[in-house]
Parts: sequence; C-alpha cells; structure tokens
Amino acid sequence: MTWLVWRQHRNQAYIAAAALGAFAILLLVTGRQMASQYQTALSACAASHTCGNLENTLILGTPAVSLLVTLTVVVPCLLGVFWGGPLVARELETGTSQFAWMQGVTRRRWIAVKVGWALLGAAVWGGAVSALVTWWSSPVNALKQQIFQPSQFDIQGIVPVGYAVFAVALGITAGALLRRTLPAMAITLVVFTVLRLVIGQDFRGRYLTPITKTFGFSGHAALAFPTGSYWLVSGGVVGPGGQMMSQAHGGPGVSLDGVPLPLAGLPSACRMLVFSNPQKFGSCLAARGYHLFISYQPAGRYWAFQGIEAGIFLLLAAALVAVTAIVVLRRDA
Amino acid sequence: MATISPAVIQTRALSKRYRRVTALSEATITVPEGRISALIGPNGAGKTTLLRLLAGLAKPTSGEVAVLGSRPGQDRAFLADVGFLAQEIPLYRRFSAEDHIRAGAHLNSRWDAAYVRQRLGSLGIPLGQMVGTLSGGQRAQLALALTLAKRPRLLLLDEPVAALDPLARRQFLAHLAEAVAGGGLSVVLSSHLLAELERVCDHLILLAGSRVQLCGDIDTLLAEHQVLVGPCKDTTAIERDHTLVQAVRTARQTTLLIRRNGPVVDPAFEAADVGLEELVLGYMGQDAAPARLAAIGEDK
Repeated sequence: MTWLVWRQHRNQAYIAAAALGAFAILLLVTGRQMASQYQTALSACAASHTCGNLENTLILGTPAVSLLVTLTVVVPCLLGVFWGGPLVARELETGTSQFAWMQGVTRRRWIAVKVGWALLGAAVWGGAVSALVTWWSSPVNALKQQIFQPSQFDIQGIVPVGYAVFAVALGITAGALLRRTLPAMAITLVVFTVLRLVIGQDFRGRYLTPITKTFGFSGHAALAFPTGSYWLVSGGVVGPGGQMMSQAHGGPGVSLDGVPLPLAGLPSACRMLVFSNPQKFGSCLAARGYHLFISYQPAGRYWAFQGIEAGIFLLLAAALVAVTAIVVLRRDA
Repeated sequence: MATISPAVIQTRALSKRYRRVTALSEATITVPEGRISALIGPNGAGKTTLLRLLAGLAKPTSGEVAVLGSRPGQDRAFLADVGFLAQEIPLYRRFSAEDHIRAGAHLNSRWDAAYVRQRLGSLGIPLGQMVGTLSGGQRAQLALALTLAKRPRLLLLDEPVAALDPLARRQFLAHLAEAVAGGGLSVVLSSHLLAELERVCDHLILLAGSRVQLCGDIDTLLAEHQVLVGPCKDTTAIERDHTLVQAVRTARQTTLLIRRNGPVVDPAFEAADVGLEELVLGYMGQDAAPARLAAIGEDK
C-alpha cells in the first residue's frame, strides 16, 4: 500500500522537497547574515550606550526575504488545499478507489496508509518550514520582543505543525464527504481560513487567564510593565469604585505611559487636559482615585500558548480523521 | 443441465435504495459454480447495483447476500477471491501498465504478473506507456487482464466488452471461456445486449425494472418456456395451467409466451421452442418484444 501511495504522490513529494530545499538555502544564508548584523549592532550600541533605542533604529534583513517569511503563514493552508483536498476526492471522482478497493487490501488499510502518510508529510513539511522560520527569526524576536504578535506567533514554533496536520486532515475529510476535488479544495480553503481567524482572534487570548497589574500615575509606569515578549491583552484605568475601563470596546482613546485608555467614562475635568497638558492629565486622574491597569500574558507563557493552540488543531485533526474513516468504511464506493 | 454444484452467489430478497430511487428490488438469485452468467437488462435495470452489492462495494438496504459462502465485505480472504471490474474501467491515468502490475503485486497476496505481461504482449499493448494515453479498448484489455491476474474464484464484470471492437469482443470472451474451462472460476458479466454474450454464457440473470425476471441455467430456462401459436380464442385455461409471460393478439391469431407447468394439451395451439433472444425480449421489454413475437407467429 505504501508503494502505491508513493507511486501516486511521488511527483508532489519531489516538488515539495525541492521547494523546501530552496527555501532552506535562502533562509540559512540570509539568517546567518541577519544574526551577524544583529550581533554587530548590539556591540556597537553597547559601546555607545544606545541599545535602548536599537529596536527603532535597526532594520534587520531585507524586505523581500522578510515578506517571504511572513507569507509562510499560508503554507498549512496550501498543504490542506493541494495535498489534503485531492487525496481521497480524486480517487472517488475518477473511480480509481474502485480499483484499489477490489485489490487484496481492505479499505481500512487503504485509508489508514494514505491518511497516515499524508499527515506525516504535512507534519514534516510544516515542521521543517516552521523550524527554519523560527531559527531565522531569532534575531528579530530578540530585537522586537513581539513573539506573541500573530504575524510571528502563527509561523513559528510548533503551531504551524498543528495547522498543517489539521489543514490536510480537513482537505481529506472534505474530499471524502464531497467526493469531488475542486469543491473539496474550496471548502478546505474557506473553513481553514475562517477557523484560524476565529481561534486566533477570539480564543487565543483565553487559553490562560491573563495577569492583571494595577499601578498609579507615577510617570514611571514603564517600570510596572513586564519584560520580554509579553502579550498586552488589555489596559485601561481602574476607577475609584474599582470598575475597570479599557479600550477594548472602541471609542476614542489615548495612550498614557504605554497604557491604552478609553476617554469615555473619565471625569470631564481631566479629559480636558489630555491634549492641553498631558502631564497634569495623569495627576488629575490620580487625585480622583484612578489607577492604571494592564492585563497581559507574560513572555514565559509563550510555549504554553504554542502547545495549547497546536493541541487544539491536532485534536480537531484527529476528529476529522475519525470522520474520514467512518465515511470511507461505511459509505458505498 | 440441472446441477447440484455449490452456489458461488446466493441472494435472498436483496434490495438497494438510493434515497427515493429503488435500484434493486427483492432480488433472489443463485449462480452455481463454474458458470459464465450473463447479467442482462435494459439500461437502469439495476445491473451495476447488483454487481456492486456482490463485490461488496455497496451495502444492501435489505435482504441477504452470500458470495463464495460469505457476506461481501472488507476482509482479505473475500477480496482475494473476488475480482470486479467497474464499467468506467478505473485505472490510474498517470500510471503505466507496468505500474499497475507492480501495484497489484504489492496489494495482493496472489498475483500473476507474468500472465498480465504475456497477455498484454500478445495484444500488443505497451507496458511502459501511461494508461491515460492508451486507447479505450487497450485500457479495457489492461483492466480485464489485471482483474484476472488476481486469480479470483469469482469474476464480476460490468459491461466489460462495451469498449472493445467486435473482434476484440469475441477474442476476449473466448479468452474468458478458456479461463473458466480451466476450472475454479465463475463469471458474471453484464450487458444490455444479449447477442454479444450469448456465445459463451450458460447462465442467465435477467433484470428489468430493478427486479429479477429470470435466473437460471440457459438450457433449463429454454426448456421451461414455449411459444404457443393459435387462433383467436379464449386462453384462460392456458393462463390458469401455465404462467403467461407475454401474449400478442392480432385479428387472425394469438401468440403466447408461457412458462410451462407440464405439457400443453390444447390442440388448437401449436407449440414451438423458444429462442434465447425471444425469451429475453419477452420478459424484458413490453414495447419491443410484441412485434418480435408476432413475427415468429406469422412465420409458422
């Protein structure tokens, strides 16, 4: 059965391997350049005591390569659409499943071997791309401290493996259910994209309860901020009655000491000062019993978040594999 | 030619419904071992459905089916013993014949690769060429050879000769008959045309309107039926004693196709043997058949 799978998909495998090889060479070369560029800049700024501002002055790498790395976010989706979608659908569509199913292997084995190799391929390929991107990005991560940003989080670490496995499983399932290649590919594209957006935007922040810190309008709020690549979930003011007001609900806002504040709901006497006399704005609020608060996920939780999100997608993938197995085994050929 | 050889296929009230459409209704058939059975019926009669149920590719809605003594399904012994070739001749278009032979060797415990190579060699079909570039007839021959390479005990072929030219048809059927004569093989092959199968088949399953109209050894079926030609008169007595399949009444005479229960005694009617084609048409078409039957009557 493995021989058959290999014979059917060896061209795809060659193309995928070639693309991965080219990508690896590019990232290895530019990644080494970028790492040395960062080291040079670090020692230069250390000498001149300007490292605090390095984040704003240093531009790492070239825009083209950076763009390519950013675009690896679509890799799992492409795998799902072009590997997963046709895997079973094309066989059902062209009837070759009827050839395979009347040979001396059971359908259970047929689907197990096909799905197994496809998911393994997705994991290896997605994992390899992600490993390269993660390694390549290490100077950027160290410089920007924004590893929780979706543009970084989604293409580094282990989540791309979860995405890739899920996307391919989704494609396979859509193909088994719809029995047509093109609709299966389209459904895979749409469902995967929507699910990724929904989970990334609406659920990711809730994996672990954020840490909330309150502090006064000292003018030294930066000292109260966590260090490293933390994820600022929300921020705002705590009123005299303990009510929390954040910018989360939109409306006009202002940033004070790096904390986003909502303007609505603040005492109007203080609001007047926002633009005219920003320094008095803080003390005005402090005099009325207001505090600042921030709510965040600390940098140390990065791998926990990676693990949880990858786990969610792997579990979804497992459920889809089960659905595929049931459909293939129960349904008529 | 009544035989007591064990049945390779036995079904009871086998039915298959697809949503609202009934594709096969209450089919009860028996096919003894060693037969080449012609599965005949008009388009949409349920031939493909029956074959797919027998092959285990589809599951019956109700009824029972035993093929080679077991229920068709996903076990390796069953799959090894049953060969099925779908009407669409499913092959991997980007595989060569040689790739298919090797795939078969990997997928089957019993596999006669040498047979396929020799067969394709004698037909002049290239082994290395992509299947998608072969002609329809060549693909059909390849698929048939691959199905036989499993050395199955039962071969189920859905419209196998449809893609072949008349000469290739005859040669293929002769080849099939040879394989069956070698022993241990039974065949069911479907067609909507009887003529092309008549030469090699010794068993008949006739489907029409998703129901089994006839099933049995052809010699037996022919012996059981008779055409009666007589004057225009009351035929109630005949219809009571025998099973009337079809009646054609013209102003001058009455022509009856009956399934006999004992001898026909009515002296007014002249009894004649029935040919296979007349028999099949009599059961199959209520539109095409009367003219045909009437023509026989006129000849007498």
